[in-house]
Amino acid sequence: MFRPYLSLALALFATVALAQTVPAGYPADYAQTIAAANKEGKVVVYSALDTKAAQPLIKDFNALYPNIKVEYSDLNSTELYNRFIAESASGQGSADVMWSSAMDLQVKLVDDGQALAYLSPEASKLPGWAVYKNQAYGTTYEPAVFIYNKRLVTGDEIPQDHTAFAKLITTKADKFKGKVTTYDIEKSGVGFMFAVQDTKFFPGMKELEQGFGASSYRVYGSTGNMLEKVSSGEHLLGYNVLGSYALVRAKKDPALGVVLPKDYTLVLSRVLFIGKQAKNPNAAKLWTDYILSQRGQKLIGSDVELFSIRNDVDAEYTAASLTKQLGPNNVKPIPVSAELVTYLDQKKRLDFLSAWKATLAAGAAGK
Amino acid sequence: MTALTRTSGFTSVPRGLTILVTAAAVLAPLLLILYQSFLSAPFFDAKKTIGIGAYQFIFADPDFWQASLNSVVIATCMVIIALPLGALLAFVMERTDLPAKRWIEPLILVPSFVSPMVLAFGFVVAAGPVGFYTVWATELFGGAPWGIYSLTSIGVIAGLLHVPNVYVYASAALKSLGSDVEEAARVAGASPFRVAATVSLPLIMPALLFAAVLVFFLGFELFGLPLVLGDPEGHLVLSTYLYKLTNKLGVPSYHLMAAVAICIVAVTFPLVLLQRFLLQNARKYATIKGKAGRMRELPLGQWKWVAAALIATWLFVGVIVPLTGIALRAFVTNWGYGAKLAEVLTLEHFQSVFDEPILVRAIWNTVLIGTVGGAIAVACYCAIGFATHRRNDGWSRFVDYLVLVPRAIPGLLAGLAFLWVFLFFPPLQPLRTTIFSMWLAYTVVWLAYGMRLISSSLMQVSTELEEAARTVGANRGQVSRQITLPLIRHGLIASWLLVFMIFEREYSTGVYLLAPGTEVIGAQLVSLWQGGAIDVVAALSFVNVVLVGIGLAIALRFGVKLRD
Repeated sequence: MFRPYLSLALALFATVALAQTVPAGYPADYAQTIAAANKEGKVVVYSALDTKAAQPLIKDFNALYPNIKVEYSDLNSTELYNRFIAESASGQGSADVMWSSAMDLQVKLVDDGQALAYLSPEASKLPGWAVYKNQAYGTTYEPAVFIYNKRLVTGDEIPQDHTAFAKLITTKADKFKGKVTTYDIEKSGVGFMFAVQDTKFFPGMKELEQGFGASSYRVYGSTGNMLEKVSSGEHLLGYNVLGSYALVRAKKDPALGVVLPKDYTLVLSRVLFIGKQAKNPNAAKLWTDYILSQRGQKLIGSDVELFSIRNDVDAEYTAASLTKQLGPNNVKPIPVSAELVTYLDQKKRLDFLSAWKATLAAGAAGK
Repeated sequence: MTALTRTSGFTSVPRGLTILVTAAAVLAPLLLILYQSFLSAPFFDAKKTIGIGAYQFIFADPDFWQASLNSVVIATCMVIIALPLGALLAFVMERTDLPAKRWIEPLILVPSFVSPMVLAFGFVVAAGPVGFYTVWATELFGGAPWGIYSLTSIGVIAGLLHVPNVYVYASAALKSLGSDVEEAARVAGASPFRVAATVSLPLIMPALLFAAVLVFFLGFELFGLPLVLGDPEGHLVLSTYLYKLTNKLGVPSYHLMAAVAICIVAVTFPLVLLQRFLLQNARKYATIKGKAGRMRELPLGQWKWVAAALIATWLFVGVIVPLTGIALRAFVTNWGYGAKLAEVLTLEHFQSVFDEPILVRAIWNTVLIGTVGGAIAVACYCAIGFATHRRNDGWSRFVDYLVLVPRAIPGLLAGLAFLWVFLFFPPLQPLRTTIFSMWLAYTVVWLAYGMRLISSSLMQVSTELEEAARTVGANRGQVSRQITLPLIRHGLIASWLLVFMIFEREYSTGVYLLAPGTEVIGAQLVSLWQGGAIDVVAALSFVNVVLVGIGLAIALRFGVKLRD
């Protein structure tokens, strides 16, 4: 009795589902990708963004493609890389999608031939610097910021740009001795990358480094540690902290203040690519396109509290809002480019590190 | 008798299999690390070449030497602090009429069952520059005269936390020593302290020496404390230097890490052998004990309060400060100067833990690995115990040394080596993302500890019963199953509880094995700490302490002796 109705309903549902899920402006054969992805039934995502933060994206993706299960694992960016190369080498297959804030490692993997070539239909909506070899895509627009303890650093003291930051820690050495923090560039790839970029954009970098040395600054491997210690007042100032995390915490933590440096603000973009050995390449394509789509980016700019990279998205945290706030010339996104792997060369990296240490020591000796 | 010792070689298939599996599980990771240390890239990389470049690199790196020096300093510091305190504590607990001993004993052992990672984190939030206690002290007295980030502080804290390790050996040795010589000294007018310093403690010198080597060795393996407390001032020790190498060159430098690990093993393995040598000597020593008379407790008199105050202070600093720190941090949104406790209280962190499927799975896995995994581990240890029990042949001696090997490898690297084994050894591949991988690593890393528990149970079974069974025609397997096993069942249950607590506490072994499906609290804490999700770290630490507490409560309820 119910049979015919049921099958009719099913058929109807299938057509509707199919019609709904081929997004506007995508090539017609995208329906085949969706069908193949549905058959694959899942997508394995390795990401440096923790699961909790990514939950809105996973839920929304599932609303869009209910038949594709997202197996999401969060690892820190170095672990992500380690696991991916080890698993790939063992031939057991690894992540379908790699999504990490370690831009340099992601580009290296692409250069090493670990990524699947895939031109996303959304690629044209991204800034040119965010598309690498049609294999890897920048997905976010996360500023590097200063943080400070609101209870103990107030008014004019709050540094608004890099020069002011350097001046503050050198002129008020007593107050800030042992109270300034930034990434340990030996432990944190992101910290290292920011430091390299700073030497490009900030003429007073040497003085700042000496200031770090003179104030015997404290370094950590992770953003969370810096946020915690500045919030508690153990430290007063944090330099080059990943803004997406800082702003989220600052929202509910009355002790934590965030400054977007006025002279220039470095911007990091989380890089995503599809693994060459991906077992679910079609589902991986859907995930990639979804993350880059207006719908995914809107969530990234709102619930996920990263910054959307697309200019045509209306949300709280977007590239557009950041640019508007700081002026187009003061935002310095780090391009997803071959240049990023320069410092993965052992000698160059060690040279940079020892020069950095020498400057710190000179600063410490000067006081 | 001869029937029991005559045979040599693999006399039975189960025995041979047990020894073979043990050897594979212990040696495969070690050999892999050794091999990796002589390569120029990860061993699975096509571009690798063989050479000693890794050693050249670390020997040329000033950080390596600084870290080695720091390790020596901290280990020495630990011995200097833990040895006298542990020995005195043992004397007071074993020999005097200190009140409420029954209650104090389990408290003394608490530090050895709580994850050092948790304790270290507890120290930061409790006694760090803006910790709860520091802020209170500053409000009350205008300043807090302590810092916890200097190298000496780390050494002192580590020393205080290792007092139990000395205590268990010293008190065991005192137990086997008659009290008549001490009474003689007391009658001649010596104060309790003098009795301890000139009579009792010199008599147990071998045990103390053994404990000193043990503590020094543990100092070399220290990871959680220096990871958390050494960060702010940049103090590296060998294990944290090794961890730092994960990222120093931008890409993982397994060859360098392996080279450091081999250097650590080069120090720790001789120490392990020295321990073994000392232990055998100590047993010889124990035969020269005084007449086994009734133990009489020395009256402490006025000293009672001094002793009680000392123990209370130590417990306060080593246990109560960090644990209350953790507990408080788990329930507040932010802390430090100007934060009003009443305004920042929250249950949110626990909610985030229980909302997060991964963390729920981590808790579940941790319970599972402690209970079910602990039971299977004890079964394995037991099998190995039976393979060597009452057999004095070459294979038994081989196993004796074999079980000591994992003790010398830092858990962190052992975990990494197991990850490689699971990745590249095809039969194990499907099990990699299951909790089995974590369990195997735990079981191997704690092999020496587990074997000590089992063999102390086995030692208590006297030979007569086994021989009687043999005489009436039972074969070796039947004797083991029907005589020995039932006799040691209480010992096995006690071992299970102890292994449960050790597995709940373990953290470094799992760091590299962490994957979807294998989450455990300990490794998750390291990862979350690195990632900086401090709220969650606090809440999860609290859960971990509660789990260990439950284990401890059950153990005490059933009268399990908390030490071997």
